[in-house]
Amino acid sequence: DSTGKGLLDFRSHVDASCRYSEEFTNIYYDCMDKKRRTLTRLYLDKATLVWNGNAVSGQAALGEFFESLPSSEFSVQTLDCQPVHELATQGQTTLLVVTAGQVKFDGHKQRYFNQNFLLTAQASPTSDQPVWKIASDCFRFQDWSS
Amino acid sequence: MPGDNISLGSKLLPGMLFFLCLKPRIPYGKKYNKKWLLTALQNKCSVPFKPVHGHKAQFYLEDAFTAHALVRASRQITDSEGYKVLVLMNPCPPPSILNTELKPQDTAWLKQCMAKRFDSSQRTLDLNQLRSDPDLVSQNVCPILSRKIFMDAVVKIIEENIPELVHLNLSNNKLYQLDSLADLITSAPHLKALNLSHNQLKTEKVLDRLKGLKLVDLWLEHNPLCDQFKDQPSYISAVRERFPQLVKLDGYDLPLPIVFDVVATSTIPPCKGSYFGSEEIMFLILHFLQQYFSVYDSGDRQPLLNAYHDGATFSLSQPSSQSLSRCLLREYHKDSRNLKHLKDPSTRFRLLKHTRLNVVALLNKLPKTQHDIASFNIDVNTHTSMLLSFTVSGVFKEVEGAFQDGVRAFSRVFIAVPAGNSGLCIVNDQLFVRIATMEEICSAFATPAPTPSSSLVPALSTPKQEMLSTFSLKSGMNLEWSQKCLQDNNWDFNIAAQIFTQLKVTNLECIFRL
Repeated sequence: DSTGKGLLDFRSHVDASCRYSEEFTNIYYDCMDKKRRTLTRLYLDKATLVWNGNAVSGQAALGEFFESLPSSEFSVQTLDCQPVHELATQGQTTLLVVTAGQVKFDGHKQRYFNQNFLLTAQASPTSDQPVWKIASDCFRFQDWSS
Repeated sequence: MPGDNISLGSKLLPGMLFFLCLKPRIPYGKKYNKKWLLTALQNKCSVPFKPVHGHKAQFYLEDAFTAHALVRASRQITDSEGYKVLVLMNPCPPPSILNTELKPQDTAWLKQCMAKRFDSSQRTLDLNQLRSDPDLVSQNVCPILSRKIFMDAVVKIIEENIPELVHLNLSNNKLYQLDSLADLITSAPHLKALNLSHNQLKTEKVLDRLKGLKLVDLWLEHNPLCDQFKDQPSYISAVRERFPQLVKLDGYDLPLPIVFDVVATSTIPPCKGSYFGSEEIMFLILHFLQQYFSVYDSGDRQPLLNAYHDGATFSLSQPSSQSLSRCLLREYHKDSRNLKHLKDPSTRFRLLKHTRLNVVALLNKLPKTQHDIASFNIDVNTHTSMLLSFTVSGVFKEVEGAFQDGVRAFSRVFIAVPAGNSGLCIVNDQLFVRIATMEEICSAFATPAPTPSSSLVPALSTPKQEMLSTFSLKSGMNLEWSQKCLQDNNWDFNIAAQIFTQLKVTNLECIFRL
C-alpha cells in the first residue's frame, strides 16, 4: 500500500510503536526486578516463554518459573522495535520488541542477555483502552553455553 | 532519695577521671550566683572539692566520696531569701566535653598491649580484666573500659588492625553499658563469640546495642541482668531475641533455633541449546536458514528479495556503549537503531527499513560475511497457523575490508508467514550485532565445514560419515547443515531414524527455494 494515507498511517504506527516499546520495557523490567510476583499479569494466558532453551507455557507455569528465579537487577542498554506485519497477526495489532543489556541474578555474576517479545493488543474487560500483553518471550544469556 | 545509689568502688589514680561522675543538682539553682554557691558549699562540705565543668548550679565531681560529702551539706546553707539550698546527686557518665582523645602514647601502649593479647591463629582477643594488665599498669595507663574514651579506642584499634576478629573477651571490666561496642557490628563483621561475663550490665536492654552482631557464642553470667529473669528459658529467650543465631550461652549448648525459609533461591535453571518445539518446525527452519545464509554469505544479497514479503521491515542494532564496539562495528553504526539513545522520531522512522526493496538494499550494503553454521542456536518463540517467529544466534566473520576475519556475534529475530509452496516468507527481521567474546572467537569455525566435493569429512568416523550422507540425501539439506543437525542431536541414530520417518510422513518438499 503506497498511497499517501497508507504511508502516513504506517509512520504514525511506527512512532506509536516506539513509544509503546519504551513504556513496556520500563514496566517489564521494573516488575521483573521489584515486583516479581505481579510479572505474570503482563503475559497472555497462553503465552510462551523460551528462557535459555527452557520452554515455559501458560500462566501457572510462568508464575512458578519466575518465582524460582533469584532476584534480579536488569540494565537494558539496547532497545529496538517493529510493528508486526498484519498478515502474520490476522489483524491483531502486534509489536516486536527487542532488548539487550546486562542482568545480575542474586548469587550469580553479571551477564549479557538478548531478549525479544511479541506484544499483542487485547481488549480489556475493565476499561475502554486496549491492553498490551506478552504473547511470546524469548530470553538468552549471550554466554549461555559457558 | 534519687541518686543515692552511688558506687564507691574505684580507686582514684593521678590524672584520671573517675568513671562515675556525679552531678550535684541544685533545684531552682539558676537564681544563685555561682561563686557564692560554690563558696557556701565548700564551707559546709567537710571535704574539699573541685567542680569539673558545669554551669551555674550544675557541675560535675570526680569522685563519689566527695559527692557524698556535698550531699551532707544539703539544707545546711540558707540563701539570701531564707530558703535552704538543696544538693542532689545523680550518677552520670562523664559529659562529652571532657572526652578528649586518649594521649597518643597511651593509645600506643594500649595497642601494644592488645597485640600481645591477640591470638592470630584463633583470631581471639582477650581483654579480660584489662586494667590489671601489668604492662599497662607499669606505664601508668589505666584502661577503664567502662569509660567511653577507652572503649572507643579499643574498638578503633580493632577496626584498624584486626577486623578479622572472631572471639572477644571483655569479662571483668566493670562494663555497665555497651554503647561503644556497637561499632563492632561494622568494624568486626566476623565476630562470632563474645564474653561479657563478670561485668555490671544491669538490664537486658543493653544488649539491644549489639543487635546486628552475628553472635554464635555469648557469655553473660555474673552480670546483674542475669538475676532479672524468673527462669532459664526466659533468659535464653531474651538473649536469643537479640542474637537469633546463638548456639552457646554461658558455655551451655542451646537447642538449635527453628528458622524460616526466607532465603531466596540462588539457582538459575540450566541453559539448554536450541528449542524448536517440534521436528517439523525444526526442518522448516533449518531448510530456510540454509538457503537464506547461503545467499547472505555469497557476496550478492540481491536474491534475498525473494525471501521477503513486499511489506517487510528490517532494522538493526548494536551495543552502543563500548568504544571498542563502536570502532569494530562502524560499518553497522550508521544504520544502527537503538531507541534507548535515539530519540528523534524522524531518524527512528528512517532507520526502520520498509518494503523488501529497501530491506535488501540495506542488507547489500552491510559488510560481507561468512556465518559459522555450527555455532547457530535457534529458539522458536511462537508459531500459529499464520506466523512463525524464531530467534537465531551465532557467530560470523567479516570476509573483507578493514576487519577481515574479525569474528562477530549476532542475534536475529525472524517473523515469517507461510508462503505458498515455498515455505517461509519474512515479514519482520531484526538483527543485533556485537563483537564476539574471546570464548566465541576460540570456538568459532572449529568444525571444518564439509563441502560437496569432499563429501567424506576426514574428521568424522565412518559410521558418522555414512549417517551424514544418508541424512543429507533424505532431508535435502546440504552436508554442512546436515552435519549441524546431527551434531545438535548428538549423532543419535535413533533420533536420526525418527527424523527419516517424519520426513516421509510430512513430505518436506516444500523447501523454500531461492
